[in-house]
Amino acid sequence: MESEKAVEYLNGLIGRTLRIHATDGRMFVGLFKCTDAERNIILANSFEYRLPTTSAIHEAAAKETESWDKTEPKAATVKVNMSSRLIGLIVIPGRHITKIELE
Amino acid sequence: MLPNNEVRVPPRRVLVQEKAVPRDITVEFTEAASKLRTGQLVKDETFTLFEAVGALEIMDSKMDSGYIAPGENHAQALEDNYDVRRHLTPEQVVGLMDQLLCHEMAWHMGHPLSQTLFTSIYIDKLLWPVPRTIEDARSDRVPSEYPLVGLVLRTYCLALVKACDFVHARVASEYFYEEEDFVTQLYNRNLLSTFDSSHFYRLLDQAVDWVDAQEGIEQKLRDAIRSRLLLRREFLAAVDQDLEILDTRSTDSFVLCLTYLKTLTETTSLGNALPEAFSLKLQRKLASTVPPRPIVHIKQEDALAHMKRLCQDAIDMQQMLDYRGPSNFKTAVWTLLSRKPQPSVYIRSLLQALIVSDMTILGAVSVRQFLYDDLAELVLPSSILLRANTDEVELPSDPRFRIAQIMEGFVKRFAQPYVDTVRSACLNRCRVRRTICHTVIDWDNLQMEAEELDLQLQNLSAEPALQFQGGEATFSYPLSSWAYHQKLIQLRLILQMGFELSVYAPEELPGIYWYLSHICSTHLSHLDRIRTFTVAARKRDLESSNNNGETSAHKSPAYHRSFLYLERLTTHIIAIDAFAIALHALYVLLARHQILPSAAGPDAYSSDKLRYELRMKPFIPISLPELVPFEEYQREATLEGDTDATILDRASKAITEARKAWEATLANGAFVEDISSPMKEPSIAIEEDWRRDIKDTMRACIGASIAIETVKKALLGDSPASEKVPLNLQVVIPVIGSKTQWHDWWIVPQISEKKAAKAATS
Repeated sequence: MESEKAVEYLNGLIGRTLRIHATDGRMFVGLFKCTDAERNIILANSFEYRLPTTSAIHEAAAKETESWDKTEPKAATVKVNMSSRLIGLIVIPGRHITKIELE
Repeated sequence: MLPNNEVRVPPRRVLVQEKAVPRDITVEFTEAASKLRTGQLVKDETFTLFEAVGALEIMDSKMDSGYIAPGENHAQALEDNYDVRRHLTPEQVVGLMDQLLCHEMAWHMGHPLSQTLFTSIYIDKLLWPVPRTIEDARSDRVPSEYPLVGLVLRTYCLALVKACDFVHARVASEYFYEEEDFVTQLYNRNLLSTFDSSHFYRLLDQAVDWVDAQEGIEQKLRDAIRSRLLLRREFLAAVDQDLEILDTRSTDSFVLCLTYLKTLTETTSLGNALPEAFSLKLQRKLASTVPPRPIVHIKQEDALAHMKRLCQDAIDMQQMLDYRGPSNFKTAVWTLLSRKPQPSVYIRSLLQALIVSDMTILGAVSVRQFLYDDLAELVLPSSILLRANTDEVELPSDPRFRIAQIMEGFVKRFAQPYVDTVRSACLNRCRVRRTICHTVIDWDNLQMEAEELDLQLQNLSAEPALQFQGGEATFSYPLSSWAYHQKLIQLRLILQMGFELSVYAPEELPGIYWYLSHICSTHLSHLDRIRTFTVAARKRDLESSNNNGETSAHKSPAYHRSFLYLERLTTHIIAIDAFAIALHALYVLLARHQILPSAAGPDAYSSDKLRYELRMKPFIPISLPELVPFEEYQREATLEGDTDATILDRASKAITEARKAWEATLANGAFVEDISSPMKEPSIAIEEDWRRDIKDTMRACIGASIAIETVKKALLGDSPASEKVPLNLQVVIPVIGSKTQWHDWWIVPQISEKKAAKAATS
């Protein structure tokens, strides 16, 4: 990709919602505002998503088991929502980014 | 800049996997980014570098509240192992309750919830996940087997959060400064606002009953827990029905709070603290656009003192709810809000709501009436202008019809700014001064508008002109006179609050006290003018009633009150004026002999002229009174051409006059007594505050006269100082809040003979 094209491509993403996965397993979803050569990314109005904690999974599993008809086999998976919270304007350093998704 | 408060109404985002499948663009993105030059940015056009600085850096432990250090156990980092269903001893329950109260008060004092109450694991689990029913609202979602936890502590937490809900709602609905006074941020939590208070009272009663029946718990501990629960109930009731005081005049709940607070204070030592029930980790779960911040710990006694003051202020507030005329009302509001320490933000918000809501003062007097009363008190004791609209004249040719119309326009324009002058006292002290600096400019314009109305009214009311001695004939201009009076008060407050807020450097004191006396003398001549016209109007009234045979007796009380009010005002301003003249003279001498400390170093860029420009900024746009030009100010403020002896004489005379005038002010009392209406219950506490304020001023007067005497002795004593021999005096300017500073508005220098120098000469 030529430099001009690269800028054009990135400019096209400005203002769109990105999902950025970080090295520690968290995901950030927010409006793409800015980036640079180091792939540092600034997101506005972002939410932090975190995999549910073990206890939350246990709890959900326990509930699932309770409601489950004892005669039927247990489900192999339980659905637990990721916990999220608003954290606003953030910058994610390029070196901590594992994956970038466009919504 | 992206608003910080967007967190308050977070857009509900739901991750719906099915709706839009996200596309992985890692490779393209990375490649594109790598083509950028170092330092080159691709950014939103409207996005500025300035904003970028405010972004929280993810994976930085200082900035990222969700950061978990590499070694940390992931599960533990997010959730505490603390078991909210665990057994607690009564001592621990007492300790926890007291810790929670500390956090609640820290929040009242202005710290965010994320650093106070929301660090409590009990509170966190109570509010998240959001409880749908009151039965669900418990930290131990599966009820603890120990009633002391499952009932008593739970109820305590519930009532506490609900009280916070009311306080939050009250503050957020009035004027306050976010982060300066209070942090309204709730981090996407809800303070149980959906639940009716009746649930909480019921639970509190249950909990108290249960505690009463526990013979197994030691009596003193039972009492300790009991009083804490009762405090919660009364405090909840107090903030729940805070506006109802207008109807009930009852302060019972706050009074009971004080009673229980007393028991509570005596039993704090019984509690065992439980620091593990609080955790900073909880910030990782809060919707927050700020970096992680430490838990705020305030001292137990500070928390109790804060709550006690809050209750006492609320109780005393009740004394100003009976409307007894505008000047009394304003004095009461100002006195209450000038308390040190200043009443808490909750009290100040509550007071705003009581002072005026729905264009009604104290829930009883219309804003129009309030404005008219004030006009009557100051400039129009008995005038057709104030009566015109009550005469219900419908004949357009009748001047009264036009007068009523003009007065209607006046009310529409002036009511809000006027009420705001009273209300703005509810802001924090720095903001009070700042707000006045802004509003005084509005009042300058208002005065001009009032002048135009005055001209129109003059013709309609056929007001005869007055001949001043040797001057031209002139008219009373009642509305603009009144507006000018308001403005002069504000100009004076800007200066006086400047002392209170330690705005001025020592070297500025001579000049500022001169300016204060300048404003006062302008104000005094203005009051004289008003009085002259009121006297003339009274005379006309008496003459016309003699001619027509009708009685003017019914107008007497209004005139009486107005003359009384003018007299009181004059005395008060003379007192301020004289004291300012005395301090001015004293400071001029200190400056002249170079013993006045200076904040600016010898190489400082600042100069007297620059400083004057800076200080007088609020005065520059004012058309009347005009800003004194620097050269004239310089001459006047340094008393150029006067000898030391003349200045000393001036200081001594002025301070003597000041002491007399302050005594007279004190004797006049805080409030204008209404002779026509029967004596109402006196406002004891507020009046006491007012008297203390005046007495402190009088002590400052005495301090000043001693200082003047000391300087006199040094100047005119046995070995008079000359150009070569500097004055053997040491001058200390007391700081605000120190014991030697008797009154915030009167900075009296501490002057003493230099000990070391004396020893050397003898």
